[in-house]
Amino acid sequence: MQTHSAPPTGRDALAAVAAVDLVKVYGAGDTAVRALDGVTVGFERARFTAIMGPSGSGKSTLMHCLAGLDTATSGQVLLGGSDLTKQSDKVLTKVRRERIGFVFQSFNLLPQLTAERNITLPLDLGGRKPDAELLDRLVTTLGLGGRLGHLPSELSGGQQQRVALARALVSRPEVLFADEPTGNLDSRSGAEVLGLLRTSARELGQTVVMVTHDAGAAAYADRVVLLADGQLAGEIHQPSIASVTDALQSLAAAR
Amino acid sequence: MNTVLRTQLAGVSRRPARMLLTGLAVLVASFVVYATVLAQQITERSVLDGLSGTPAAVDLVVREGTITAKDLAAVTAVPGVSRTSALAQIGVQYGGQYLNVTADPGSGPLSLVTVTSGRYPSAADEIAVTPRTVQLLGLNVGSTAAVDPGSETGKPGKKVTLRVVGVVAPPQDFGYDTYAPSATVFALSGQPYIQQIDIDLDAGADGDQARTRIDQIFAPVKADERPHVATGADVRLEEARSSADQIDQVFAVVAMFVAIAVAAAGLIAASTFRIVFAQRMRQLALLRAVGAGRGAMFRALATEGALTGLVTGTVGVLAALAAGQLVPLALRGLGWKVLSPGVPVLPALGTVLLAVVMTVLSVLAPAVSASRVAPLEALRAAAGTGARTGIGALRWVAGLLPLAAALLLAGYVYTNLPGPDEQNYDAQTMLLAVVASGALAFVALIALGPVLVRPVLAVFGWPLRRLGPVGRLAIGGVGGSARRAAAVSVVVALGVTLVAGVLVGGASIRVLGDRELAASAPADFELTGGQGSTLPAGFLDRAKAAKELTRVTPYRRIEAKIPDFDGVPVTDLDMAALPRLVDLDFRTGSLADLGPGKVVVAGWISEMAGLGVGDTVQVDNKGKKVTLTVAAVLGDDGPLHSGLLVTPADLTALGAGTAYSGLLADAATDGDTGRTEGLRAMRAVGGGQSDYTVDVLADQRDQVASSLTALLGIALGLIGLTVLIAVVGVGATTALSVVERVRESGLLRAIGMSRGGLRAMLTAESALYGVIGAVLGLLLGVPYAWLALQAIGVNAPLAVPVWQLAAAFLILVGLTALAGVLPARRAARVSPVTALGTE
Repeated sequence: MQTHSAPPTGRDALAAVAAVDLVKVYGAGDTAVRALDGVTVGFERARFTAIMGPSGSGKSTLMHCLAGLDTATSGQVLLGGSDLTKQSDKVLTKVRRERIGFVFQSFNLLPQLTAERNITLPLDLGGRKPDAELLDRLVTTLGLGGRLGHLPSELSGGQQQRVALARALVSRPEVLFADEPTGNLDSRSGAEVLGLLRTSARELGQTVVMVTHDAGAAAYADRVVLLADGQLAGEIHQPSIASVTDALQSLAAAR
Repeated sequence: MNTVLRTQLAGVSRRPARMLLTGLAVLVASFVVYATVLAQQITERSVLDGLSGTPAAVDLVVREGTITAKDLAAVTAVPGVSRTSALAQIGVQYGGQYLNVTADPGSGPLSLVTVTSGRYPSAADEIAVTPRTVQLLGLNVGSTAAVDPGSETGKPGKKVTLRVVGVVAPPQDFGYDTYAPSATVFALSGQPYIQQIDIDLDAGADGDQARTRIDQIFAPVKADERPHVATGADVRLEEARSSADQIDQVFAVVAMFVAIAVAAAGLIAASTFRIVFAQRMRQLALLRAVGAGRGAMFRALATEGALTGLVTGTVGVLAALAAGQLVPLALRGLGWKVLSPGVPVLPALGTVLLAVVMTVLSVLAPAVSASRVAPLEALRAAAGTGARTGIGALRWVAGLLPLAAALLLAGYVYTNLPGPDEQNYDAQTMLLAVVASGALAFVALIALGPVLVRPVLAVFGWPLRRLGPVGRLAIGGVGGSARRAAAVSVVVALGVTLVAGVLVGGASIRVLGDRELAASAPADFELTGGQGSTLPAGFLDRAKAAKELTRVTPYRRIEAKIPDFDGVPVTDLDMAALPRLVDLDFRTGSLADLGPGKVVVAGWISEMAGLGVGDTVQVDNKGKKVTLTVAAVLGDDGPLHSGLLVTPADLTALGAGTAYSGLLADAATDGDTGRTEGLRAMRAVGGGQSDYTVDVLADQRDQVASSLTALLGIALGLIGLTVLIAVVGVGATTALSVVERVRESGLLRAIGMSRGGLRAMLTAESALYGVIGAVLGLLLGVPYAWLALQAIGVNAPLAVPVWQLAAAFLILVGLTALAGVLPARRAARVSPVTALGTE
C-alpha cells in the first residue's frame, strides 16, 4: 500500500493544472447533487496521472471542469497559473483550442473528414499551420503512416483512437485529457493506446490526465488520484494493478 | 395497438414540437391549399356582391330579340310598371375617332351612371361624357362635338352637333364613352337597336301579371325574333355565374401551381421522415432486438406518418381558416370591399385527407428502409443519416432512364422547332413535350441528386472553402451527407427552375413586346389626318414651337408596290430622332447602313418577298419606279408598321408630296401632368379641327407594359409558394440534422471551435443547400425556358436577365441561410459536455 493521505498542494509550482477547493452542484433545492465537494488537487507537469473512483464519484465532472468544458459552482481551476473559472466562453474556447488536448471514449472523429484533416482540425480552427516535423513524428510514433487519407469509417477502433490521440497532441497542449480512452477498444489496442500515453509523458514531456475505472489502465500511470462522493480519497504513486485494485476495494468497503 | 406504435407514440407525445417540425412542409402545404379555397370564395363573394351589372331594382328584363322604340313605350305603359330603362347604344364618328353614345336614365334606381360634375343631359342635343373621354378627346363640359352618326348604307351621314353638359362616372371607362337619355340615342340612329329593357315594377305590383301583359305585347313578333321576359333575379344570377366562371378559370391556373407546391412538400416530408427515422435507428434496432417483427415496424412507422399528416394537416387548415377570416376583416378596415368566406367543411376535410395521403406516400420509402434495420444496429455506435454518398444500381437506372427520355423529348422538340413562317405548326403539342421533358428531367434529378452534390460543391463551394476551416467544415458536412443534401436541394431546385423559367420567359417576351411597341407606338403622341390625307403646312412649326413637346418628328408615308406585293407601307421616318426606336432590333445590318438608293426592310417583308441584305428591289408607286438595294433587315415590324424604310430623297423620287402624313412627338416632361399638357399642346397644333386626330400612343404602351408586369408578378407570386415550401424544408432539415449531430457539435466545441464558429458553420451548411438547389435549378430552368419560348413559335429572341437571375440566386441562398439561423443558434447554445454526453 502506497496510499498517502497528506493533502496535495494545489499551488504546487510543478502543477500544470490544479483544482483548488472545487465545488460543482447540479440542480437546485431537494434534487441538488454535489458532484464535486471541495476538491483540491494538482497534476504535475510531464507526468501521467490517472483519476479513479467508483461510478458517480465525480471523476468525469472533475476532468470537464479542469478542461474548461464545464463551469464550476465555486473554487478555482488553475491552468498554468491562470484561473479558468472566471473566464468567458470566448477565452475558454481559445484555451481548449490551444492549451488543451482531448481524447474521448468514443473517439469522436468527424465522419466526413479524412484522418489527416481530423488531426489538424484544432489548428485549422485557429487558423494555424501544423508543424510538419511534429506531424511527421506523431504519425510515425502512432503508426498512422499510410492511413492519413482514410475516412474514420475505414479505420479500426484502435486506429481511430490513435488518430484522436494525434489530434489531441498536434497543438502541443499544456495538458492532454483522456476520458476512458480504452473503453471502446479490445485489450491489445487498449494497451497500445495506454503505452502511447505513457510514452508521450515520459519521452515528450507531455502532461497527461486520464479518467478511468479500469485498474489495468490506471497501472500505466505515474500516479493515481482517487475520488469518492465528490471528494478526494487518497492517491497512489507508481501504481500497480494490485495496489489500485486494493485501494478501490477499500473505498467500496468504506461506504 | 401494436407495441412498436405505442413506443413511437409515447415518444411523439413527449416531444410534440418535433412532430410539427417533421410535418412542417405538410403543414404549409395544407395551409396553402385551404387558403386557396378560401381565397376563391372571398373573391367570388366579393365580386358577385359588387359587380352585378344589372341593378338590384330591376324586377323584369326583356331581351334576346328585336325590340323597337315603340315596344319600349308599350312596355313602359303596362300597368304596374314603375319605370323602364332601355339598354341601347350607337357608335358615331368624331373626327377620326370612334365615340360611343349609350342610353341611360341618368338618375333613379335603374341608372348605371352617377353625375360627378355639370348635369345629366335632358335636351336632344346634349350629352354627358366620362372622365377619360374628357382627358383623351378634350371634350370638356361646355364644349361641342360635331359627330357623324353614319347612315344605313355605311356611308358618312349628316353631321350632328352635340353639347357636353356633364361628366358621369360609368361602370367601365374606355375613353370614348358618352351618355344621354334614350330619346337622344334613338334620334341619332335612324333605326335604334335596343338590346334589353330593364323594368322596375311598382311596389306591391303583381310580377306575373305584368309579365303576361308584356308577353302579349311581343306576341305578334316572329317566333325567332321574339324577345324573352326574364326576372331580374335570374339575370343577376346569370351575370354572377359568368363572372364566377372567369374566377374559376383563374383559380384553375392557381391550382396548378398549388399542386406543384404540394408535390414539393411531399418531397420535403419524405426527406424529413428519412432523417427522423435514422435518428431513431438505435431505438428501432432495439425494438427489433427484443422481438418486434419487420411488418409491425413498418406498419407502426407508416401509422406515425399518417398521424403526422392528420395533425399537421388539421393545424394547417385551422391556420388558413383563421387567416381567411382575419384578412378580409383587416382589408375591410382599410376600406376595401371584401367579404369574409364561409367555412367550407368539405374542402377542409379534403385538405386534411390530402395531407394524410401525402404524408403516407412520403413515409412509405423511409419506413421500408427503416424497418429493414438489423437488430445488431442497437449495439453499435449511433450512425448518422445520409452518410452513404453513392447510390445503388437501381437508383442509377431510375435516374438514367428518365434522363434519356427527357433528352430524347427535348431533342425531338429541338429538331422540330418552327421555322420563321411555318404553316400548320402545332405549338400546343410541342409545349406539352417540353413540359413532359422537364418533368422527366426532374425525376432524373431526384434520383441522381446525391451524385451531383459533390461536383456542384466542388465548383461552387470554392469561395466558402477559401474562408477557412469553418467553410471547409460546412462543405464537408453537406458533402458528407450527400443524400440528405440532395433531398432538400432538389426541392429548392424545383422552385428555382420555375423562377428562372418565368424570369427568362418574361424577359424574352418583354423584348418581343418592346419591339412591337416601338413599331406601333414610337412616340407619346401621333397627329394624323387619317388614311391617305396629309397635314397642312404650319403644323410642324407650331408643334416645334410648343414647349410642352419635344422630339417633334414629321414623317411621310405612302403605299407602294413591290414585286408580288401591293400596298406595302413605305415611310421616310427619321429613326434616329426617337430614342424608343432603338428597341427595334435588326436581324442583319444596322440603321447606319441606310442611305440614298438603299432600303431597310421589315422582317415580315424580307421573309415573304425573300429579300436579304444586298438584294435589289423595285418599288413602284403609281408608275413611279425606283430600284433600291436592301441595306438592313429588321427583327420583325418596321416603325409605324411600315414595310420599307427609305431616305426622304428616295421617297420624293417615288412621287410623295412635300406635305407630311403625320407628326410624332414626345411629352417634354415625364408623368401624367407632362402627358396631359403635351396632349393639350398637340391638340392645339391641330387647331381644334376635328379632322386631325391626336393618338396618345403612350397610354397604349403603358397598358401593355403594366399588364405584362402584372402577369409576371402573379406568376412569380404563385411560384413563391413552392419556394416557400423549399425554404421551410431547408429549415426543417437543418434543424433535424442539428439535433442528429449534436455530438459532433459538442466535439467541435470541445476541441476549440467558438460558438460563433459553430453558428457560422451550421448556417453556411443551410445556405449550401440553397446554393446546390439554385445551381441545379438554373441549369435546368434557363435551357427549358429557351426551348419553351422557341416551341411557342412567336419568334422571340432568348433574353437572359442576368441581374434578375443573379438576384433570385442570392435571395434564395439568403433565405435558406436564414432558415438555418435558428437551428444553428440552438446548437451553439448547448454546452459541449451536454452535447458529448448525448447518445
